[in-house]
Amino acid sequence: MTTWFHSWRAAVRIARRDAWRSKGRSFLVLAMIALPILGVSALDLTVRSAELTPAQRMERTLGAADARFSDARTAGVAILQDPEGEQHTPAGDYNSPGKSWPDGPTDVTKAIPAGSTVLTDSSGTAKLTTTHGLLQTEVRELAAADPVARGIMRLQEGRFPEKNDEIAATTRFLESSGLSVGSTLTARGFDRTYVISGSYELPSDLTTQQVNALPGAFLAPYAKAVEKAGLPKPDISTTYLVKKAGGFTWNTVQAINAKGVVVTSRVVALDPPADSNVPLYQKEDWANHESSGAADAAAVGTVVGLAMLEICLLAGPAFAVGARRSRRQLGLVGANGGARSHIRAIVLSGGVVIGVAAALVGIVLALILTFALRPLLEDYMGQRFGGFTVRPLELLAIAALAVITGLLAAIIPAVTASRQTVLASLTGRRGVRRSNRVLPLIGFGAVLLGAAIALYGSVVSDQFVLVAGGSAVAELGVVAMTPALVGLFGRASRWLPLSPRLALRDAVRNRGRTAPAVAAVLAAVAGTVAVSTYAASRDAQSLAEYRASLPSGAVAALVTEEGGRDVPEVRDAVQRTLPVDVRADVFRIAVGKPGCDPHGEGEGCGRFEVVTPPANKCPLWATSPDGSDPAEKYTKEQRRALANDWRCLLPDGNGIYVEGRLLIADAPLLKVLGIDDPGAAKALADGKLLSFHKPQVDRNGTVGIKLITDPKAANRAVEQNKPVPGELKSFPAYQVPGSPDSYGVESVLSPAAAKAAGLTTVPLGAFFSTDRMPSTEERQKLDAEIAKLGSNVELTVEQGWVDENRLVLLALTVFAGLVTIGAAGIATGLAQADAEADLKTLAAVGAPPRVRRMLSGFQCGVVAAMGVVLGSAAGVLPAVGLRLTEEREQMRFYQEDLANGLVGAGDASPHVPIVVPWETLAALLVVVPLGAALLAALVTRSRGALARRAAH
Amino acid sequence: MSTQQQHPVLSLRNLTRVHGSGATEVHALRGIDLDVHPGELVAVMGPSGSGKSTLLTIAGGLDNPTSGQVFVEGTDITALGIKGLAALRRRSIGYVFQDYNLIPALTAAENVALPRELDGISARKARTEALAALAEMDLGQLADRFPDEMSGGQQQRVAIARALVGDRRLVLADEPTGALDSETGESVLALLRSRCDAGASGIMVTHEPRFAAWADRVVFLRDGAVVDQTMRSDADSLLTDRAAQR
Repeated sequence: MTTWFHSWRAAVRIARRDAWRSKGRSFLVLAMIALPILGVSALDLTVRSAELTPAQRMERTLGAADARFSDARTAGVAILQDPEGEQHTPAGDYNSPGKSWPDGPTDVTKAIPAGSTVLTDSSGTAKLTTTHGLLQTEVRELAAADPVARGIMRLQEGRFPEKNDEIAATTRFLESSGLSVGSTLTARGFDRTYVISGSYELPSDLTTQQVNALPGAFLAPYAKAVEKAGLPKPDISTTYLVKKAGGFTWNTVQAINAKGVVVTSRVVALDPPADSNVPLYQKEDWANHESSGAADAAAVGTVVGLAMLEICLLAGPAFAVGARRSRRQLGLVGANGGARSHIRAIVLSGGVVIGVAAALVGIVLALILTFALRPLLEDYMGQRFGGFTVRPLELLAIAALAVITGLLAAIIPAVTASRQTVLASLTGRRGVRRSNRVLPLIGFGAVLLGAAIALYGSVVSDQFVLVAGGSAVAELGVVAMTPALVGLFGRASRWLPLSPRLALRDAVRNRGRTAPAVAAVLAAVAGTVAVSTYAASRDAQSLAEYRASLPSGAVAALVTEEGGRDVPEVRDAVQRTLPVDVRADVFRIAVGKPGCDPHGEGEGCGRFEVVTPPANKCPLWATSPDGSDPAEKYTKEQRRALANDWRCLLPDGNGIYVEGRLLIADAPLLKVLGIDDPGAAKALADGKLLSFHKPQVDRNGTVGIKLITDPKAANRAVEQNKPVPGELKSFPAYQVPGSPDSYGVESVLSPAAAKAAGLTTVPLGAFFSTDRMPSTEERQKLDAEIAKLGSNVELTVEQGWVDENRLVLLALTVFAGLVTIGAAGIATGLAQADAEADLKTLAAVGAPPRVRRMLSGFQCGVVAAMGVVLGSAAGVLPAVGLRLTEEREQMRFYQEDLANGLVGAGDASPHVPIVVPWETLAALLVVVPLGAALLAALVTRSRGALARRAAH
Repeated sequence: MSTQQQHPVLSLRNLTRVHGSGATEVHALRGIDLDVHPGELVAVMGPSGSGKSTLLTIAGGLDNPTSGQVFVEGTDITALGIKGLAALRRRSIGYVFQDYNLIPALTAAENVALPRELDGISARKARTEALAALAEMDLGQLADRFPDEMSGGQQQRVAIARALVGDRRLVLADEPTGALDSETGESVLALLRSRCDAGASGIMVTHEPRFAAWADRVVFLRDGAVVDQTMRSDADSLLTDRAAQR
């Protein structure tokens, strides 16, 4: 043991000094290993630092309180909750037919035990005035300066509000509003003004735009002002921070749950109950699903393994160059009694030395960067770290990865170097080693096996790990076959001029060193080709799946809040900033108070629906009186047949969503949507309802619109499968022929016809067609204009399909190109270390210096070309495998849906194309070998051999 | 000489070496017999291709003979495996080559300590031995220099120190002065001579008669066979004769 250790020490010393002597090569390999290590350890540090301990988490949600009580909104019935207080459900069974789900507020204060200290924490939203305009902001009423609340908000500047006309704001709000501490602000339609007394941040949510006021100072008077303006009262939700000696144990929490109140308790968070003691988890569908780590671990392991394989293949030749260059030195060690194991140890130590250095550099840099960039990282993640958490064991494991990578990369060069006889090493004699005959066969076997595994993974079992693992095996197989394949390339040498012929012959005769270099290029190219083939295929798929929301260049700007109060300004803003051609103003039907939001359930608010006559309902979805699944009545074959029935036509998921998929508008809308049926415009002018959705139209050619003034009664009716109460208005319909794409709109009615029928309409916004595609500048200008209004505008600008991967692909190609040229450069170094004698001979027989350059260039180019050709082939395999996996998975889902009657006539079967990125391949095939050759030719000293000898 | 009575450190028995086969067959050595005793320095001379270097590489176990036996300190090394030969080079035989003898990544002391360290001796002990060996040869001041910080002669002397570190008693030197000017060459040979006088044995390949004069015995090779053997006294006259003939 000690003997072994001592001789390794000598090996490590030689390796360390050698690494230092050839700094360039060492740095290259070090960077290759250190960069991923830096990334992984920085990620580990960031993730671990961002993780909060239960105590920290509780401080951020509860401050110094013991619990937060909140309303479960179950009308006071008993509930079950999880220990965190994040999920809850009524304790009883309310799912069976005929039972209505409990819904309604609970008086939380009644559940608070006597003798506790209580702080209220209320929040609502308001449109606050800023220097730019209006900003929709969360207003939170909490006595933040109270010791009980300490820790929830972190004061940054000034102080928390102490008077009713003071307000504090998050730093993010101050940034986006342009206000600062000392400014005053108010809200839209509100007569009170507030002075900003300070700024704060929420440590777990740095991006929140929020202001803080004293309880009762803002929300209640603001609600009154809003109501006075005839608008629905803003929602205010209140929770209670409770401090009580001893805190709230899990038993106490469960007792409070019985009153319909959810409790987030510090004691429970610090000492959570076992899952078996959580009744919620015993309930059906509520089990505590912690994702099993095994599948994730396998995926992570595969990715890490693949990355290590690539790095090893890339770094291996660098060690081979090192071993070649120091061949005489290794021979001397042999002459002095170094056994093969010692030679191996020296080359392997090179790997260890670089691996350790890379681990140190990577991890130290990660520590420094993470520490220095902590504020930036926190901003990026939107939350403050719990602390700077360093997990030494995890970092050690990452370091071990680096060392193992270095060691693995050096294995083959080490074995090769140790096989040389001492005499050959000392004399520099290059016995042309017969290439191993078994290795290519093993390689071929591995290619077949790997491809089979990958195909099995993709076609039979759709497992990513199998695809990736199989591809890795196949790639290793190609690597093993490289010497034999290089021999095949050599056949072409006969017809080439001197320099390329010499280069190719040399490469073929010295397969031992050409193969690893080709393998390095192969590894780099295979990775790129795999990723870019996959990305190009995904692009083709998303292009094929892309459904436009509007005709190209068209714009929709819709405002549903506050009864369309801001609609005129929004319409003007679009018209001012964008190259608008046609503007089509649109309205919506309002049931009840005009200020209500669509689907709003506030007091006096209603809704409407476009009725589908019972005869036109899809049998697969029609509700049955007993609440059972209607699809169960049909066999699988019937379900498949019904999926193609016109009644089962699903509404187009794409396009613009509006309430009831119905718009009140005039003929310009048809122009914007590109509906050029002349009958449609006429029918609209005649007061008919245009229908783009056949099932709406009943036998008499009319469409019914049901006005529901009591949504609660309607909900109850739906639950009990009874007809929904409401006033039905019928309109003669015009079914637009040829089913043109109406972009999500199913029916259109003119404002005049709506008025004639006694419907109340409110402005919704406008649709626009444009002369040309709005530019980015114009869009930004529009965004700024809308932001000034503080209005919640649903803005859609149809720009067509945007290729988001193009830049990524380009960057990837460039990166692979650089790595490939680097690898080819290493290979040239390797060749030159070997070919010194040939070059001397060449110079001696009178070859001009140019030949030396040419030879280097061609040596490099030959390696790059062979690597790119083989790598492209090796890279397509995993990409195709992955795509096949995805196709299989999607087809399976589709078939299941079809069999279960979940697919409608509109759904196409999944389309998973496989596209080979020929441009990327061509660039790699042509540019990379050329670039590598040129670079090698440029950096080669054209006169070296003879001059150096003379200097001795 | 009194040393003749002791057991030889190196014995070559009927040594032959054939390179290649068939048409390319070359007989590098043809039935060589040679003994080297403790304290003896043997010079091997001969024209190019006479088999001098082959003799040396086979004697050191770097190459295998086609037939015949090589005994180093009584052990037949032709029967040893690769590991055994490596151990032999660590413990019994030291090599000195024409140039680039030292490992560039190691200091003089570390170079000398290398065989001992490879043998598994602790680094500190190996270094102590190396420093002692260097000091004994008046090379102590070079201990911490790297090869590229030393002159050619200094490098060769450090190489001799390394060849004899530990228990090693046999130096195989292949033109140790080939890359040096004559004055430096003399100083290197003086060191080798003094080590042999102190009990070591050495074989030195050279084609400089002047340097062969440092040897106790000169062996002449031609076409792989010993054509003449002279004792030092005779060699002097022989060399003078030949020099006169030129």
